[in-house]
Amino acid sequence: MFDKAKARVEARQEARRVPPALDAEVAAAQAHERDKGLTKHSFEPHEHPCVRIEHLMKTFDGETQVLTDVNLTVWPGEVVCVLGPSGSGKSTMLRCINLLETPTAGHILIEDNEITGHLGTREVNKLRQNLGMVFQSFNLFPHLSAKGNVMIGQTKVLKKSKAEAEAEALKQLEAVGLLDRADFKPAQLSGGQQQRVAIARAVAMHPDVLLFDEPTSALDPELVRGVLDVMRDLAENGGMTMIVVTHEMGFAREVADRVVFMEGGVVVEQGKPEDVFDHPQHARTAEFLGSIK
Amino acid sequence: MSTMSRRGFLQNSALVLGGLSLTSLVGCGGQASGGSEGSAPAAAAGAGAKLVEEGKLTCISNMYFPPFEFMDEKTGEAKGFDIELSNAIAEHMGLTANWTSESNQSFDSLVPTIKAGGKADIAIAGMTITEDRKQEVNLSNPYLDSNQSLVIKKGSGETLKTLDSDEKTIAVQAGTTGADWAKENFPKAASAGNIKGLDDIITAMEGVSTGNFNALVTDLPVASYQINENGFDGLEIEEEIPTGEQYGIAVSKDNPQLLDDINAALEAIKQDGTMAKLQKKWFGQEL
Amino acid sequence: MDARSRSVACTIVLALAFVCALPVQAWGLTTNKATAKPNEDGGSEVIGGLPTRLTWEGTVEEGEKVSSIHLEIPADGSFAESTTKVTALEGLSRAPVESEVSADKNTLTVSFGEPIGEGLLIRLEIYNMTLPSTGGDVVVSGTYQNQDGEQKLKDSDPPIKTIANTPLQSMVNWLDNQEWVKQWNANQFLGMFLKPQLILTSLSSLFPGWLLCLGIVIASYPFAILLGLVFALMKISRHRLVRAIAIIYINTLRGTPLFLQIYIMFFGLPMMNINIDNNVLGIIVMAINSSAYLAEIFRAGIESIPQGQYEAAASLGMGHLQTMVNIILPQTIRRVIPTVTSDFIMAFKDTSLLSSVGVMELMMFSKNLTSVTGNMTPYVTAAIFYLIVTLPLIKVVSTIEKRIAKSERGGGPRPKAKAKKAEVAVVDGQAVGAEPSLVEALSAPFKAGTSVMGGTASVR
Repeated sequence: MFDKAKARVEARQEARRVPPALDAEVAAAQAHERDKGLTKHSFEPHEHPCVRIEHLMKTFDGETQVLTDVNLTVWPGEVVCVLGPSGSGKSTMLRCINLLETPTAGHILIEDNEITGHLGTREVNKLRQNLGMVFQSFNLFPHLSAKGNVMIGQTKVLKKSKAEAEAEALKQLEAVGLLDRADFKPAQLSGGQQQRVAIARAVAMHPDVLLFDEPTSALDPELVRGVLDVMRDLAENGGMTMIVVTHEMGFAREVADRVVFMEGGVVVEQGKPEDVFDHPQHARTAEFLGSIK
Repeated sequence: MSTMSRRGFLQNSALVLGGLSLTSLVGCGGQASGGSEGSAPAAAAGAGAKLVEEGKLTCISNMYFPPFEFMDEKTGEAKGFDIELSNAIAEHMGLTANWTSESNQSFDSLVPTIKAGGKADIAIAGMTITEDRKQEVNLSNPYLDSNQSLVIKKGSGETLKTLDSDEKTIAVQAGTTGADWAKENFPKAASAGNIKGLDDIITAMEGVSTGNFNALVTDLPVASYQINENGFDGLEIEEEIPTGEQYGIAVSKDNPQLLDDINAALEAIKQDGTMAKLQKKWFGQEL
Repeated sequence: MDARSRSVACTIVLALAFVCALPVQAWGLTTNKATAKPNEDGGSEVIGGLPTRLTWEGTVEEGEKVSSIHLEIPADGSFAESTTKVTALEGLSRAPVESEVSADKNTLTVSFGEPIGEGLLIRLEIYNMTLPSTGGDVVVSGTYQNQDGEQKLKDSDPPIKTIANTPLQSMVNWLDNQEWVKQWNANQFLGMFLKPQLILTSLSSLFPGWLLCLGIVIASYPFAILLGLVFALMKISRHRLVRAIAIIYINTLRGTPLFLQIYIMFFGLPMMNINIDNNVLGIIVMAINSSAYLAEIFRAGIESIPQGQYEAAASLGMGHLQTMVNIILPQTIRRVIPTVTSDFIMAFKDTSLLSSVGVMELMMFSKNLTSVTGNMTPYVTAAIFYLIVTLPLIKVVSTIEKRIAKSERGGGPRPKAKAKKAEVAVVDGQAVGAEPSLVEALSAPFKAGTSVMGGTASVR
């Protein structure tokens, strides 16, 4: 009890040591300088990153430190794959971005707007509309059909009309190849199909950034392909900004603009896929990649 | 309202339920094992009366009928005129009266229990001698005269006349002569289903106090005791109803010897002045 | 009593006073009343042609001595097999009386050994007599002998209202005379618990009680559901005070017997001068009591919805209320239907407790009938009435439960994949709290079936 409280005090003191978020222009310039060799993304002049993470720290119960000091910028249209062993904090980082977890310290800025600190519920909901999320366990709404799952966010959050939402839903279901399953309940769909519906649900909200939290980990191997194809299509033809936490090395190598390797709550190494995969700079990266192969 | 009566309600239901289920069990099982031959532990007492438990006169009653029978506020012990009378009778017979927590039953289950046999030797419960009851069980010679009474809430202005209406509800204790009297004399209320047969008279009195019922009909001695001695001073006796009924002790028809013994004991108690003493103690006068 | 009925009552009282004041005739023996004991099985009517008990009361006036009374009822009635109990009362005390009774068809003569003196009340209870089988108002008339010879008796007033034999009563009487019924009833068990005549009368006389039970529980349940939902949501609220209120409400109601709650409401409210119709109060008590149980059922239902559902809704930008209304509650409802139905069954059965405070429901009717007949058959019949409602519902519950089990088993990844999935989950779960929702999200999603549990267990 006492230890916990002490740990919490220490965490708070630690948090005070985090410097304030950088000015947008300064940050953009710095990030531009840092990232230009690390990604296949082609920079526009005066471009600003759409997600900016500075000194992100996250502890659970004031004890377990999951994220120590994460710094990352993601550019519009960029596909970033986050790799790392279990417990490296990659999923937690992803969940911090749309505030499913509340960061303990540090800054997250979306389109140069700080989201860390005390946002009201309304602002949080607004923020989440712009950040689509695909979960490892799909999390479809079991009482709604595939179509209903894709429609509900549009009608209830974006306040679209039913007809409009339905048209959009069918369009997105078609894009993931499930038009013929529109009226099926989640329980009648395979895992792969469910995940594709989940992707359609996220995309139908037209978010600025799509977050994928190990989208294929819960799937049968033969079903992984279909889901990855849909994601690849989104990346290559949709121009969607994507942050993908995954174990699929092949996908990362082929689709990602940048690969980020995390361990122990920090970004250990990042770079273009071929650089990281073929010439890892850190021993831990090499070890991890070796263990996967 | 006293705290005792409230606690009383709760105990009542539990005991009544227990009592009833016992009754029904005994009712079918006891008979099979032979009520008259007595594979039950019936022992000869004195001149051959069968008893449920040797050396004891096991009694049942409905313990919500002060001053005849009620439970002590603190100990839950059986108290009252009938209890002391049963003690005196038992003493005359060379026995001890057996009152336990299982002695308490709903009034309407007393006669069936005695008839079925096996659980108790006698029911002594301010029970009026009627032809209907005599068909089921034997009843001793009368030991006390009683009458009925109509009880209303003080100042409510209800009378015998105003109460016979389908808009009035009259509480009675189920299975009592008071219940019969109410049904017979308030036919309009009866047709409307407004004669409410409750498990005990204290519930009925609570109900009249709170206005749930417009009146209740019960034995006069009970009504006056409750109103004058036991805290129900918000009630009043609107009408003393002369019925000239008499209380008797119920004994199984299979047990004529016990009936004779009890009648003999009653006679002796009257002769030796015990009865007068008991009446003075519980009613303030000889009745 | 409203003003009008009060004035009517006043008028009646005045009229009565006026009538009494009229010197119509000086009776030596005034007929006070004649009443008959209701003899309808399970009812309150006096049926002609069937045995009943007639009670006649008269007062001997000043200066009179009555040596015999001769009662007469309409020709169709009969005293033939009657026995008469004669009581004389001085005030409330019994006076010694010696009498001889002779009955002849529709007349009955009571002769007193010693003439009855002034001021005494004479009470005749005539058992096992019958009133005219045609029904209608019956007046008891007759004569009496005083010191001056035979005098006419005042007709009894009001008359005894009787009805002709009912079809039901005729059927009962028909059963009475059947040989097989006699043999059936001769069996101790059958006669005590399944007496055919009583089953018949019980079915008809318990019916209104059964309807009232159903009425009370059906009327109370929508309120119970609404209240239950409110308190369920309050109990999972983030505000400590709101939560505390809900917890106190739910625990108090669940932690005390319904019986006690009934007594408090039925006797407590009138003491605060709040007078509510008994049946309505019954509905209120049942609704409040059920709401506490439903609140717990709903809360458990809501909390059984996996965290992932909240997160998915949140990731779409839904607010708390939107999530509840659109995502959580629709799923909760499907999950709790069987439990709620079970609770409905309990509530229906619990209406029986209302009999203790005089609500004329099923239990009350059967208790009354049992106390009148000294037979258990009305209780058995009441059981049948309860079962008519509860058995189909029990069936419904098990059907729904089976269907839910089936739908949760079907669909979703195949068992093999589930085992794998569980493996991943556990491996990830070992990362102390790093991804804390994974194990939970995987082991209890909407397709959570035994196979998932089995998979997880086998990996561990």
